[in-house]
Amino acid sequence: MDGNAMYSKEAVEYMWKAAIPLQIHLDESEVTTFPAPPPAFVLGTRIGYLPLLMPVLKPYFSNVLPPGDDTIWFDYKGLPLKWHIPTGVLFDLLCAEPERPWNLTVHFRGYPSGLLTPCDDEDTVKRSFINSLKEAAYIINGNCKNIMNMSEADQLDLWQSVLKGQMDGYLRVSSSRLKLRPLGEDCLLKKIPNNHPQSNTSETASIISNQTGRIPVRLYVRYAKEDLDDLDEMPPVISWDNISYINRPVEIHFEEGKYYTLRTAMESLLPEYGIQTFITKADDHPESSSASTPDTFEQDISNCLKFKSKIKFIRIHGIEPAPDIPLSWVFNNLSNPDYFLHISVTVLLENNTMSTRSLTS
Amino acid sequence: MAAIVPESPNSSDQKVVVHLRSTGDVPILKQSKFKIAGSDKFSKVIDFLRRQLHRDTLFVYVNSAFSPNPDEFVIDLYNNFGFDGKLVVNYASSMAWG
Repeated sequence: MDGNAMYSKEAVEYMWKAAIPLQIHLDESEVTTFPAPPPAFVLGTRIGYLPLLMPVLKPYFSNVLPPGDDTIWFDYKGLPLKWHIPTGVLFDLLCAEPERPWNLTVHFRGYPSGLLTPCDDEDTVKRSFINSLKEAAYIINGNCKNIMNMSEADQLDLWQSVLKGQMDGYLRVSSSRLKLRPLGEDCLLKKIPNNHPQSNTSETASIISNQTGRIPVRLYVRYAKEDLDDLDEMPPVISWDNISYINRPVEIHFEEGKYYTLRTAMESLLPEYGIQTFITKADDHPESSSASTPDTFEQDISNCLKFKSKIKFIRIHGIEPAPDIPLSWVFNNLSNPDYFLHISVTVLLENNTMSTRSLTS
Repeated sequence: MAAIVPESPNSSDQKVVVHLRSTGDVPILKQSKFKIAGSDKFSKVIDFLRRQLHRDTLFVYVNSAFSPNPDEFVIDLYNNFGFDGKLVVNYASSMAWG
């Protein structure tokens, strides 16, 4: 895998180590002491899930909690957080202007069952993770035999690696058991040469099927008004109804000598919006390699004219990737351990063309 | 506070054929194929099965393999996992596929 231009172990290491500093307050209604306990400061790994902080937060707050059973959940500015979405994705989506530390409220009582799917314990999170992995495998390979046939021990190893943020352990199990490499050995979007040795081994079969190139994507879209100047002014998300969630594979089409880029993927996922942000990006950083070439610049301009509503930014693991990065690189290096590429998008809507509904809180 | 939300990108009116199949000792439904709106969430399928079968505990799978999150849209599940023009949903009274 090393030495491959489409795979950077360094990038993957960064992703595994990345964490968000959290400042966690206990919900007022659950404080039985005076004064209230100070907030807890913890690091939440980007690839992790919030309920996994239970072993740290429970002992920290246990002395002040009222009697009763504990079911942990979190909210950010009143929005109950979906626990099955990785912490880094929640942060990228809900904090337009990154807030550090990120102030969250933890609850141990009064689980909002109508709004969140039940989460009893770590095992629930593990099941959700393995389930997501199976879905990704199905999208990539057309089946999830590799995961269904995995031994209990390997499955546990894999989960423990995610839980503890141990990349090496994860790669050891995933490379030998999962074999989820949707883009083939070189990860390039080229046709396999005709003289490629063909055989009926499953290895070759999988490379050939890879040519259909289905990439598992979970896309989260939030909206703002087009006249938004400052990300700080973006109103907080008050309901999950205000977020569009799209779980749709990107089908890579192969064209000789051309990369299928993130831009092309976004156009297929959100055909109703153009990518606007990158003009300003190029202007802001003329020295950056992501600056538009004349071709893409013209494409940007025409997108701007064509679409009334525009994608303001795309975030993956806190990064705003340039749109002309090959999607295969993005997937190989920035997909989560569940093999989904989780993408957060903010769209600026033109004020008078959209259909709006008012939500009163 | 007013919030702006466009028509959801999932608001297409496409219908999806769902094929419900029982696993283990759960009764088979009289009608096993239904058309439901793609913009419905998977939770609607789960609730429908629980009501029909009068069971609070029911494990619901797709393609005899995984249990999608109830939040998923039926159209997304169909595009990801459907074949032969339908989405196969299995239900069982105990955990069938771990």
